[in-house]
Amino acid sequence: MTRLLTPTKFIGGVIALGGLVCIILTPFVGKSFFDFLWGLEPLTYIGGILLIAGLGAAAAAYAGAEWIRRRSEPESNNQRPEHSWSETTLQYFQLFDHDLGRPLRRIAGKERELRAVLQAAPGEMDDGVKDLLDEIERQTPNFRLMMTNIQVLIELESPETDNQLQPVEPVEVIRRIADRYTSVASEADKEISWWSEPAELGLVYANSNAIEHIVTNLVDNAVRFADTHVEVKLTNNPSHFFIRVWDDGPGIGRQYVQHLFDRGWTPEVVRREEKSSSGLGLFIARSLARRSGGDLTVESDDSPDGEHHTAFLLSLPSNLEAQHNGVR
Amino acid sequence: MARANSGRKIMIVDDESESAILRAVRRRLASEGWEALVIQPAPGHSVGEEFEAAALWSIEEERPDAVLLDVRFGEHRDDQFRGLNILSEIVEKWPKLPILMFTQYTQGPDRETAVQGSLQWDAPVDFIDKLASPDEVILRLRRLIGTSPESIPVGEQILVDVSARLVYIVNGEASAPALDIQGMKFEIFRELAATWYRSPGELVAFSRLERYSDGEDPRASLRVRIREIKDAIGKAMNTHFGPSELILNVRDQGYRLVPPKS
Repeated sequence: MTRLLTPTKFIGGVIALGGLVCIILTPFVGKSFFDFLWGLEPLTYIGGILLIAGLGAAAAAYAGAEWIRRRSEPESNNQRPEHSWSETTLQYFQLFDHDLGRPLRRIAGKERELRAVLQAAPGEMDDGVKDLLDEIERQTPNFRLMMTNIQVLIELESPETDNQLQPVEPVEVIRRIADRYTSVASEADKEISWWSEPAELGLVYANSNAIEHIVTNLVDNAVRFADTHVEVKLTNNPSHFFIRVWDDGPGIGRQYVQHLFDRGWTPEVVRREEKSSSGLGLFIARSLARRSGGDLTVESDDSPDGEHHTAFLLSLPSNLEAQHNGVR
Repeated sequence: MARANSGRKIMIVDDESESAILRAVRRRLASEGWEALVIQPAPGHSVGEEFEAAALWSIEEERPDAVLLDVRFGEHRDDQFRGLNILSEIVEKWPKLPILMFTQYTQGPDRETAVQGSLQWDAPVDFIDKLASPDEVILRLRRLIGTSPESIPVGEQILVDVSARLVYIVNGEASAPALDIQGMKFEIFRELAATWYRSPGELVAFSRLERYSDGEDPRASLRVRIREIKDAIGKAMNTHFGPSELILNVRDQGYRLVPPKS
């Protein structure tokens, strides 16, 4: 049985990869063989089915391997259920993340190669093809963020997680995130501006992974919902530092704001429609902020005039006294 | 007129340097005018200590301006974090050499292990996701290397020549200086261009730009100079820049450069 699972994982991965390739190739193959729009459909459907079947097979193989491994473990391991569950789940998702990362890197690489080939070819690139390539490029960070969200959630809910303080330069964290999203925003004709006040805010003592994770989630949302502008502003007072992520999007209705940080909540839940995201991002972001002794709040205006916007405010303690208490 | 960043040598140490994702990065390095030197294990050979020594020897020989280094070299347990061994060797031998670690472990416990196990706290080392766009790789390398280039390309049509203190308008192969941008106006534009080069979204606060203004109301004087810069560059490019083009005033906080789309 165990011998069968490894090839199943591999075959599942290959089928999923084949499905993605079909979807990527749809506009090219469709254009060559069919002159009408619906001619594109069969390959898209086949690609979709292959992708789902492949991922399903790989996931089932992983789950099967895990189940067999647990059954074969000695009884003594079951005596510390909470800790071992959390640790095993985290390791399992790290492995899953790594194994999915490889085909994803291949797809992203092939997409960049394809773009370069098309740009080098004489004549203008077809708008439909360009949109498709942009969409693949945009979905790549989404996918990574989803995987990281799940890992952080598992870590967060582990009973033994501690909050380690390290020297962090918040300006550098914001700069890294702005760099990552500037090109994503500009492809959608949006702008990101960021600044720090004071310009040299200096070091704070915090969990840098937590800050990076929270702000990445906020900027990712802001870029998605903004009409044209996203602003990220970093400020401080003697005890705390603040990161404000503002966007000029349509705003969030008052009836929704109270649920925004609920686990698994998305506006589609109210409308009983299919969810477009996991609804974990903001829940994780607020939980991380509160675990670090800070908070995450939101202020939004959904009025139809030009003033509509949404602003998230992350406040975290600077822990400057940690410097004197021997934090490395 | 100096070519932007000419002569920068970036060494890539990766067992997958022929992968599509690294080819895209190498293409972007070339478009930046940087030379990419690739060190990879010979086909069919292990990526063990021999390769580690070969990578260090190449750094000694070539003296690159920065190293783009993979963390993981293959699936064998000994090779999974081989890059971290190479990293700690480099940090020990050349503590000032900028290193960008190319990995999928930019966050989480593995990064912590890497940081704690390999680094002196002030070493110029940064981590970047293998899925990051080639543009992001360039931005991180620019910051790690640190120095501003002699000439800063702002999009495809504007070039700021820092040593000659001139702003050039590039039109195909030809380029002509925008002679109206001199003195304080040049300093303002250089400051905006240098900030944009380091981080395209970062705005330059009024306080940083007002030192290039004078008079009783430096903010108003700055506003006039910004308008004059936009007019001068617009005239040289046969166009007119509106309020949200070329230099943006961001919500009364400062200004930010937006390169014109060609």
